[in-house]
Amino acid sequence: MSRNSDQNYGALWLLTPTVLLYVATFFVPLIMLGVLSFAKFEASVTTIGFYFDNYIKIFSDGITLKIFFQTVRLSIVITFWCLILGYPVALLMRKCSPKMKMILLFCVVSPLLTSIIVRNVAWLLILGRSGLINDTLIQWGLISRPLPLMYNEFGVILAVVHVYLSFMVLPLFGALNSINSSIEEAASSLGAPYWRVFLSITLPLSLPGVMAGCTLVFILSMGVYLTPVIMGGNFVLTLPMLITESVREQYDWPFASAMALMLLLAIGFMVILSSGVQRLVGRR
Amino acid sequence: MSSQEHYGSRLPYKFLVGLVALVIFFLEAPLIILIIQSFTAESYLAFPPPSYGIRWYKEVLTSEDWLNSITLSLTIAAVVTPLSLVLGTMAAFALDRGPKKLKHGLQTIMIAPMVLPHIVLGLGLFKMALQLDIDDSMLAYIPAHLTITIPFVIISVGASLQTFEQSLEEAARSLGANRFWAVWYITLPIIQPALIAGGIFSFIISFDEFIITFFLTTFQRTLPIEMFSTLMYQVKPSIAAVSTLTLAVTAFLTAMLILRGQVTSGDKVIK
Repeated sequence: MSRNSDQNYGALWLLTPTVLLYVATFFVPLIMLGVLSFAKFEASVTTIGFYFDNYIKIFSDGITLKIFFQTVRLSIVITFWCLILGYPVALLMRKCSPKMKMILLFCVVSPLLTSIIVRNVAWLLILGRSGLINDTLIQWGLISRPLPLMYNEFGVILAVVHVYLSFMVLPLFGALNSINSSIEEAASSLGAPYWRVFLSITLPLSLPGVMAGCTLVFILSMGVYLTPVIMGGNFVLTLPMLITESVREQYDWPFASAMALMLLLAIGFMVILSSGVQRLVGRR
Repeated sequence: MSSQEHYGSRLPYKFLVGLVALVIFFLEAPLIILIIQSFTAESYLAFPPPSYGIRWYKEVLTSEDWLNSITLSLTIAAVVTPLSLVLGTMAAFALDRGPKKLKHGLQTIMIAPMVLPHIVLGLGLFKMALQLDIDDSMLAYIPAHLTITIPFVIISVGASLQTFEQSLEEAARSLGANRFWAVWYITLPIIQPALIAGGIFSFIISFDEFIITFFLTTFQRTLPIEMFSTLMYQVKPSIAAVSTLTLAVTAFLTAMLILRGQVTSGDKVIK
């Protein structure tokens, strides 16, 4: 048998079980959500059809759109902080010794495999009303009443940044690592100060990694449910919380489906935007 | 700031190291504090604990609620991990050996569940489970978890197959082994590190999964859900003890993953 026949359609039957699984758990459910988002929900009865009621409701009920934009704003802030905190780590990982690199890599990768809820518990014990920070400050007599460190946007942003920072560092490191360091050496040997080398060589060449990391963290932050609930209580509302509530408490599937589709649309928009920017940067 | 430091690259490097030390502190300190607090012998959480003991671990490991949820989570992960490995490896083989022109498109489809926000996936799966009347049961959890773990197996095994020398397998076949035994005795042992990585990823992802299972359950509680409901009710030292136990399981598996990674890169000499 020639090598060519091995590279053939015969191997594709191995995909069957996974494809069948995906049909039941991924494709059909998504189509159902799509159909439901155009259904009508009145007096707890769902009527399948082609109505725009849910989408109109999103834009006109005064609260959903506000929460949607709040989710987008929080995701942008989270992405920004991940970038600010993650870039130095990726930069150092590239420059330091191999041993140090392993240690840093461990610190960066291990959170990826650590339960999100465990890390939220950790922050709860630090930022809570009688958490570590408030307890200590009160003991030292610096404050008389606990500071509001959680159940607000600050707590949510801090905890989500903690959870998703790794997703920013890895693509950044990948991009920085592929830069040929002799370009930078050439620039500095010609007398460019370090900040100039960084701003006009290192930073621009790492932009693909920046875009990839930002897109990833933004997408993840748009869909995060657990951390805002734990760290924000009911004081910071996000779209995923709204979706969960309208299904689990109001059984309003059509409205929840419409919101889910809107979330997907926002994420799709972000992906297209970032690949557009990357193409623009690549062309330069 | 002394002027001499402006010439060399020492100052920015030291500054960078300091900055990164702060970030690493931010990443790791909360977990260390959590672990220390879990060993308190008091009935409340304080840092540092006034006295130490394993009181709360005893409490967790004798509490029926905690044990039930730990058992449920371990059972789901134990069923999901081998299934995910088998299905994911089969799919990775199909992508690697199948027609080249279809590879990119098929691969995108096969890892698509990974990019879908879990909140949306969970919503869809909940609807599906309600239609089939299988919500709140293993029949719902296992396919749901498989959908999010299989892409990780496909990626890790797929990457390994790309560097695998197919002529080794062909040699076995020319010596009379049929395709299945050639893969079983030659290919699978060589790509074993990728299989282990895929298995560990599957286990950890299934064990930690929250939002999808949260949609699918009504009465049953996996460990993350039990932790979440306890947390919403009251923050007791038992939650710190459970968290530390979870952390120990995942840290052990992560360490295995990273050590294996080192072993693998050493093995590459064979190529």
